Amino acid sequence: MNQSALSRPEAASFAPAALLAEALPAVEAALEEGRTALRAKVSAGARLSNAALETEQHAAHCLAWIATYAESLRQLSGWADRLAAEGAFGEMESLLLAIGAGEYLAQLRGGLPMSQGELARLSDIGASAARLSTPAIDRLVAEGNTDANRRRLVELMIERKGAATYGATGLDEEFEMVREQFRRFADDKVLPHAHEWHLKDELIPLEIIAEMAELGVFGLTIPEEYGGFGMGKTAMCVVSEELSRGYIGVGSLGTRSEIAAELILCGGTEEQKRAWLPKIAAAEILPTAVFTEPNTGSDLGALRTRAVKQGDEYVVTGNKTWITHAARADVMTLLARTDPETTDYRGLSMFLAEKPRGTDEAPFPAEGMTGGEIEVLGYRGMKEYEIGFDGFRVKAANLLGGEEGQGFKQLMKTFESARIQTAARAVGVAQSAMETALSYALERKQFGKPLAAFPRVYGKLAMMAAEINIARQITYFSAREKDEERRCDLEAGMAKLLAASIAWANADNGLQIHGGNGFALEYPISRILCDARILNIFEGASEIQAQVIARRLLEGN
Amino acid sequence: MKVLVPVKRVIDYNVKVRVKADGSGVDLANVKMSMNPFDEIAVEQAIRLKEAGKAEEIVAVSIGVKQAQETLRTALAMGADRAILIVAADDVNTDIEPLAVAKLLKAVADEEQPGLILCGKQAIDNDMNATGQMLAALLGWAQATFTSELEIENGQAKATREVDGGLQVISVKMPAVVSVDLRLNEPRYASLPNIMKAKKKPLDEKTPADYGVDVAPRLSVVSTSEPATRKAGVKVADVAELVSKLKNEAGVL
Repeated sequence: MNQSALSRPEAASFAPAALLAEALPAVEAALEEGRTALRAKVSAGARLSNAALETEQHAAHCLAWIATYAESLRQLSGWADRLAAEGAFGEMESLLLAIGAGEYLAQLRGGLPMSQGELARLSDIGASAARLSTPAIDRLVAEGNTDANRRRLVELMIERKGAATYGATGLDEEFEMVREQFRRFADDKVLPHAHEWHLKDELIPLEIIAEMAELGVFGLTIPEEYGGFGMGKTAMCVVSEELSRGYIGVGSLGTRSEIAAELILCGGTEEQKRAWLPKIAAAEILPTAVFTEPNTGSDLGALRTRAVKQGDEYVVTGNKTWITHAARADVMTLLARTDPETTDYRGLSMFLAEKPRGTDEAPFPAEGMTGGEIEVLGYRGMKEYEIGFDGFRVKAANLLGGEEGQGFKQLMKTFESARIQTAARAVGVAQSAMETALSYALERKQFGKPLAAFPRVYGKLAMMAAEINIARQITYFSAREKDEERRCDLEAGMAKLLAASIAWANADNGLQIHGGNGFALEYPISRILCDARILNIFEGASEIQAQVIARRLLEGN
Repeated sequence: MKVLVPVKRVIDYNVKVRVKADGSGVDLANVKMSMNPFDEIAVEQAIRLKEAGKAEEIVAVSIGVKQAQETLRTALAMGADRAILIVAADDVNTDIEPLAVAKLLKAVADEEQPGLILCGKQAIDNDMNATGQMLAALLGWAQATFTSELEIENGQAKATREVDGGLQVISVKMPAVVSVDLRLNEPRYASLPNIMKAKKKPLDEKTPADYGVDVAPRLSVVSTSEPATRKAGVKVADVAELVSKLKNEAGVL
């Protein structure tokens, strides 16, 4: 177990980072070939044909996934370059890159999983896998994701067990200090209780929310002039990761405030910003997002809840569902139809609808509002609800931006941030699955050895670490783009798509390492599996995410 | 009153310690390092004194490698006002001995004139438990060690000490050196706004030469070894066999 795979004499010249940089142009070329071929199939003149795009949905989603892998490899390469420039690209980083890039390139050649039963192949998009037969790619595929490399990586992980990340993240010292503080907070205050909250289906205690508020979680990205701390999306990612590593519900508390704040910041009037943002930053008010309806999930533009103006109020009627943290929230960002003549997104408006805080006994003590809990597999801690509005009243002054018909557009503006944040939550859950599985693989002995000594076990752990690193890099990249105020819906969507899928794979493999014990409710990995499952569904289901990515790729030049 | 808080960068308490193959010490390459937990308690206590209006300024000081800067930034993010780093080693494996540290701290105290020095009772890496006591002796100040409760009133520090068999309460004249124990407080997490503010707080860098102190080692490490690993147990068939083994093999009955 002591021989370093990378230092063996026959592999002395294997420099995975340089090979990856050399491999990228061929990947780009294959992607471009497929994109051009598919675009020809789904275009009618200069525009995309919706009918053709639907017929070619499988191919289009293959394109989205292949492009996501290509972007991942680009970001992996950029990460390696930045670390190398600082002299921080060490053995562990080299192994992470070799395994991750070797595997992703092999999958690009042969087929990569969009889900367990659906593979995306270059031939699906009319591109030739032969383009990926270059010397650099051949070598990375042959010598990257090898048993020796996987074994050595896990050896190093065991040596550094307890480290916040396996491998340098490439973030600067300040972000790592943020990580350290939130990791400690999660270790002390969240992890010891998360499993019990889950099993008892309890709300996360208000004291935890108060402590998070003191640490600055809820005002993280809100500008200082509105009572926040004006930190960027990268800091938000680090905080979300570490809190979600403790418990996805805790990491997601921040998301709710982040999205509400972003809505108000992008779409609100100056008066609304001054009235709401400082209170959100201080967690004096907890927000909840009220968008989905029983018959409109992904097709949000078709929603039917009505808001009718009567004097200086709007009267709301309709049904909403999948409302997270609804009972305990103080304000709803409520999307409803104000123009009854419309059936699409154009007639929708966003409201900042105030409501009294409810309890388990009386969840919705407001006039014109009823609701009940939806029991769920995982992602507990805030609880899910369905809500009925019948004559519920909202002050007209609380129409976001003071103008009707802007709701959908206002919401769209928050999608980039929401996806980056969700990608970060997925990274945290993936990390938690890996750490839990690694601990178990070291404690549990079979056939006279710890599980971690067996190739099929350390192999799983190595791939978890390599993919977490990839998900982190594409997530941080999106965050940096957002902070630089560059359009990043494509990258943010890719980060969310990939990170969610990695979180699920890690949780599933992590449970597999636990064997029968993982199937027992008593073991935390059973909760992590349930929590990870939501990530492929919410904030844009994987299929919708792939659709949005494909559209952008096929529309763009 | 100004409070001086020395902090040490040590191997993180979560990390499994590995001894170097040649037995010359602990392997610190690529190992996660953090602030000594007892020093964190000292920083927290200083902040509480400031919040209670009993201290005006908190100066954190660290002696070691350049990377101890990160440890000082953490102290600043928790709430210290400024920091002094004395770069006394290039190699992360070099441990500066307690006497040299105490001499440097005395020089800093002479310059800064603090009313109180709050330090951890010991560093978790080498468990020397000596620096605070040596520092008090060099300064000619009173000392209160292993403090688990602290009150500052009328120029006196009233310290509750955890001693064998119970608690001892002593009152010492200020200025004093107070070394802190585990149960004194629970250190806070640095909040996001404070982490941002910490960037702008002053951090001065010095060398031992600036204070005229020689940090060359006086002690030599003969060997370092891991604790003996636990041997596998045996299963006994019944109580009689257990008693017999305890009596005849273990010799404890």
